[in-house]
Amino acid sequence: MNEAPVDVVLVDDHLMFRAGVRASLDGRVRVVGEAATVDEAVQVVRATRPPVVLLDVHLPGGDGGGGAEVIRACTDLLGGTRFLALSVSDAAEDVVAVIRAGARGYVTKAISGPDLCDAVLRVAGDDAVFSPRLAGFVLDAFGTAAGDVATGDDELDRLSAREREVMRLIARGYSYREVAGELFISIKTVETHVSAVLRKLQLSSRHELTRWAAARRLL
Amino acid sequence: MESSSRLPLRRPDRGRVLGGVAAGVALHLDVPVRLVRVLFVLLAPFGGVGLLLYVFWWVTVPVGDPLAAAEAGRPASLSRLARPQESATVLRLRRLPWTEIAVGVALLAGAAALLLTRAGTEVVGSWVVPVLLLVAGAALAWSQLDAVQRERRAGTRGPVSVLRLVGGLVIAGVGVLLLVGQEATPGTLVQSTVAAVAVLGGVALVLAPWWLRLVRELGDERAARARESERADIAAHLHDSVLQTLALIRARADDPTEVARMARAQERELRAWLYDDRPEPGTSVAAALAGIVAEIEDTRTGPEGEAVTVETVVVGDAEPDASTDALLQATREALLNAVRHGRPPVSLYLEAGPDAIEVFVRDRGDGFDPEAVPADRFGVRESILGRVRRRGGRASVVCKDGGGTEVRLRMPLLRAAGAPDAAADHDERTMQG
Repeated sequence: MNEAPVDVVLVDDHLMFRAGVRASLDGRVRVVGEAATVDEAVQVVRATRPPVVLLDVHLPGGDGGGGAEVIRACTDLLGGTRFLALSVSDAAEDVVAVIRAGARGYVTKAISGPDLCDAVLRVAGDDAVFSPRLAGFVLDAFGTAAGDVATGDDELDRLSAREREVMRLIARGYSYREVAGELFISIKTVETHVSAVLRKLQLSSRHELTRWAAARRLL
Repeated sequence: MESSSRLPLRRPDRGRVLGGVAAGVALHLDVPVRLVRVLFVLLAPFGGVGLLLYVFWWVTVPVGDPLAAAEAGRPASLSRLARPQESATVLRLRRLPWTEIAVGVALLAGAAALLLTRAGTEVVGSWVVPVLLLVAGAALAWSQLDAVQRERRAGTRGPVSVLRLVGGLVIAGVGVLLLVGQEATPGTLVQSTVAAVAVLGGVALVLAPWWLRLVRELGDERAARARESERADIAAHLHDSVLQTLALIRARADDPTEVARMARAQERELRAWLYDDRPEPGTSVAAALAGIVAEIEDTRTGPEGEAVTVETVVVGDAEPDASTDALLQATREALLNAVRHGRPPVSLYLEAGPDAIEVFVRDRGDGFDPEAVPADRFGVRESILGRVRRRGGRASVVCKDGGGTEVRLRMPLLRAAGAPDAAADHDERTMQG
């Protein structure tokens, strides 16, 4: 790929982890700024206005809100700047908090360098990034029983049958391309479904979602 | 014994005769309990000093095991997990049936009074009934002190003990009124009652802030202690597992496979400790699956001898039974195959729905042709597919061009589906793509 690299700002309070991410990113992504606290992050993001911010969920500083607080402080930039949450935590409440604040995806820190670059490019293209684990979260939160299927497009509290199928395939380790091949649809359609699920995750008032996030801790 | 290591003043639950005051004082001063008791009795005739002291300590000294209280007073990080031996003094003491004795004495006194009245002696003055009421009320109220404390420690507070407390107070109050206002007319009695209640209310109002602050400080202290014990718990865990693993990793730094495996095992353990609900063994399919994954990650290596990781995603959970056991066995075999013959990453997805459990195991290897596997090879045909199908489930192996192999298993839950899935499921296509 010989397009211009995507600029990212790297926000994490561990210097060692930032160095590791920097080293693992390839030529498609360029780090233009780093920050270690909530206040620093807001400042750097506002100064550089990168297309993508790699954001740790747990950050010191600010009002103690961590990554979600950074996103909320930059809500006015969300049109041009997208946030990709990066965390070592498996706690459901962390995932849900940062996604609901407006992050476009969630990956764990165990991700490999090339996969992380793919995720950054995908987020830069305004697509959502769903790791298998996040897909598992979604299925768990929205329920997998047959009665839980949404019938209309405007229904926020339930997944449609197709969306659930996509989520299940992602949870099984399928890439977007493989999902498309399996369901005989285009990659673009898969991306649409995933974005729709992300929107539901962000906007749903399904009360189980919060209760579930607080009560359930996954493997 | 040095004064700094003296046991705190508590009234022990065990070894008490009446309120545990003497036993507590004896433990606190480290003197024989008999000596304390004798002192109490000897002091009693002198204006009731011994009695007053006893009652005062009974009311003010909290119930508790002095040894446990001494433990709790130390920084939690220094305390040991095992409970220390119980003090011999506490164990030696035996509890006397004081309630029965008191009832007997009261009955005997009543009988004597009746006999004397019969004989013509005026024993029962007008003060006897009020005093009896007062004593009964106080006894009822005080008998609840320990009960309330015990209930609070257990985290419950029964309405019965509160009712008894209030009832005791009312009875004692009536006794006081009758005693003081023997010659008063009903009008003055009511007036003075109202005045007394008003004074009590005023005093309570003035003292309320102090009392509230005391309660709050107590709560804060208790919370701080809970936090400290939690921190000690974490410190102990980190010490036992993480530090040891780090030391091992440093020692084996030249063996990347072993280092990766140890790091992964430690990560898994720490995650389970931090995030899991830690279900009871034998109650969760998800936990059993986690155990299988742990075993495979710990003991197996990939085709080139490298450490393996299984990306596990679990949705929902179910109670284990015979068919889920078969399903998990088949899953284990599928994972072993994927790890041994496939290429990483290996993905594992389990979804426990209301009427079936589905498992998908996927690797990115070159795939293989199930039809080409000789019929006498037990690997895939028997241990994975056969196991699930015999229990009425569905099983298939799907190979894709360049997409690796996926084993798909579906086991209907016994309680949900009265009859197992139709036999027609058995001839599901085992080869696609």
